[in-house]
Amino acid sequence: MAHKNFIKDNEIVVFADTSLFSKDAVFKCLYWYGDKFHTNVSFSDSDTYKVAITPLSSANIKQDELELYQQKLERDLVDFQLRDIVTKETQNVRDLLIAKAFSNGEFDEEPIGEVSDPVGFDVNDINHDRN
Amino acid sequence: MIETKLDRKSRKFRDLSFYDYTDANNYFLLPFRFHHLTQDKEILVNEVGDFLIVPTGTAETIIKRKINKEANSELFGDLIANFFISEEQIPPLIDVYATRYRTKKLFLNYFTGLHIFVISLRCEHTCHYCQVSRVTENRDKYDMSRYYIDKGIDIMFRSPNPHVTMEFQGGEALLAFDNIKYAVEKAERIAEEKGKGITFVICTNLVLVTEEILYYCKEHSILISTSLDGPKFIHDSNRHKPHASSYELAIKGIELSRQILGGDRVSALMTTTALSLNYPIEIVEEYHNLGFQGIFLRNISPYGFALRTEKSKYETDEFLTFYKIALGKILEYNFNGHHFTEELARIFLTKMLTPFNIGYVDLQSPAGLINGVIVFNYDGGVYATDESRMLAEQKDFTFKLGTLEDSYNDIFFGKKAQEISKIWANEGLAGCSECAFQQYCGADPVHNWATQGDMYGYRPTSNFCKKNMEIIRYLFELMESDLRIKRIFERWVKQRS
Repeated sequence: MAHKNFIKDNEIVVFADTSLFSKDAVFKCLYWYGDKFHTNVSFSDSDTYKVAITPLSSANIKQDELELYQQKLERDLVDFQLRDIVTKETQNVRDLLIAKAFSNGEFDEEPIGEVSDPVGFDVNDINHDRN
Repeated sequence: MIETKLDRKSRKFRDLSFYDYTDANNYFLLPFRFHHLTQDKEILVNEVGDFLIVPTGTAETIIKRKINKEANSELFGDLIANFFISEEQIPPLIDVYATRYRTKKLFLNYFTGLHIFVISLRCEHTCHYCQVSRVTENRDKYDMSRYYIDKGIDIMFRSPNPHVTMEFQGGEALLAFDNIKYAVEKAERIAEEKGKGITFVICTNLVLVTEEILYYCKEHSILISTSLDGPKFIHDSNRHKPHASSYELAIKGIELSRQILGGDRVSALMTTTALSLNYPIEIVEEYHNLGFQGIFLRNISPYGFALRTEKSKYETDEFLTFYKIALGKILEYNFNGHHFTEELARIFLTKMLTPFNIGYVDLQSPAGLINGVIVFNYDGGVYATDESRMLAEQKDFTFKLGTLEDSYNDIFFGKKAQEISKIWANEGLAGCSECAFQQYCGADPVHNWATQGDMYGYRPTSNFCKKNMEIIRYLFELMESDLRIKRIFERWVKQRS
């Protein structure tokens, strides 16, 4: 059953399908609401996260601003899910990049094929001359 | 010979058909981050700080594999060329990319360069926001002893850095000028023996400066760094000196220093207090009229007396408004043909627009503390940063790494340094790890501790995060909105990088 996001009794509630949103993305998104809201994540059912935020009394958030915050939360959840996809899909290549950057050349690879130059320089000769 | 080579069929390049994918959306993501700049624009930033400003929604399109090589050929080409996506799982030019990453982190290569010697805690000013407690008497107790100067110099020359900077701070450093002379002459001898480069800096309010002192500085190539908060009414209000105008003494000192040392050997720093916030234009004009080539718009440090006095408290939003107005005035000078820079912007812009980083301790990851700077206090205590020793003046010794009696290894690689090192890279901090501006920003555990009570910090309430995020975003917005500004910013980073 599809859940509809709502605002009730000063609480903003947004639902997120667990097959579309990762737990990491939900928490990373909510992290940024902690300065102004009490935050809570629970399962609405086995396939749905229930994300709820309630303004801190110190945040002075007016009732008519809640809809804007609901819209922001919905957009932020999507953004953080997208960021999570990039983070997870690119983790290995990022590790490789940093390992190569901080290595002393042990991970460097020779370019594929024979090293030569169409103008006719012999790269090895040039290196030899320098020595 | 040449013809023979040219005769080779395709010269080892693969046939064009090899690169034609049946599925034009077939590509691999590479690490990148994104941030909404304005309502209509978002920015994509890769691992080395290269960026693309694109219409809102582009990041989603890329990540969902909806960029088509043929239909979106321009964007597709940009994304490939800037390492946002790759047509192969491991990009063929990954070694080039890794070299660029290494270049961005080059500041790690040499380890600690800046060695701050708190030569005396004594001062003749009574500034309300002063970052250090001030004491006027008892020379024996509040001046660094020659024993500790020797120890500090010994440790400084153990740094693997081929070029070290020895900076004398106070209190008022010139109150202990004899000790500065002793330290400079000793360090010069050792630098020559060891074949190391050395730069000397004296941080001073210039009240006590004399021709004799300046000729000594000239002879020993010592740079002067002084304080100027703006016009007389601001400077004198901020920097109170009993029975005299601190401003007039500073201006006199700057003029004399320029005459003897040359204009490029004297720099000035300003601190933004609550009073300053109302006078951004006047402060910029003061620096410009005095012939400086730029200004560093610094917000007040959350240390020392600064946060203990109502007079100095202000919100980050107020500072940002001040900053933007002041930057507007600076750009106006540039539009009129004057070269005049803002230093904080220049630091960010160097990271944004060049392949290089910049050795600014507060905006590095791993953090500049220990890696870039170390502080030897007047009493022999060793601290991770200048701000750390200011906390110590409030009896908070969290960032005390040891004393000058300890070994180099115990100070730089001891338990305290290891503890700090766990949280000194913004790549691994909550809130920073997926931030698009990560490469331009840094980690500041001391600031986190001073303002939030823990070194790790909490980004949603961090004024460090709020200030940097907004200034970086604003710089991009300015460049995007006016090509003239982009050209000016490009000139700023070409000047000294």
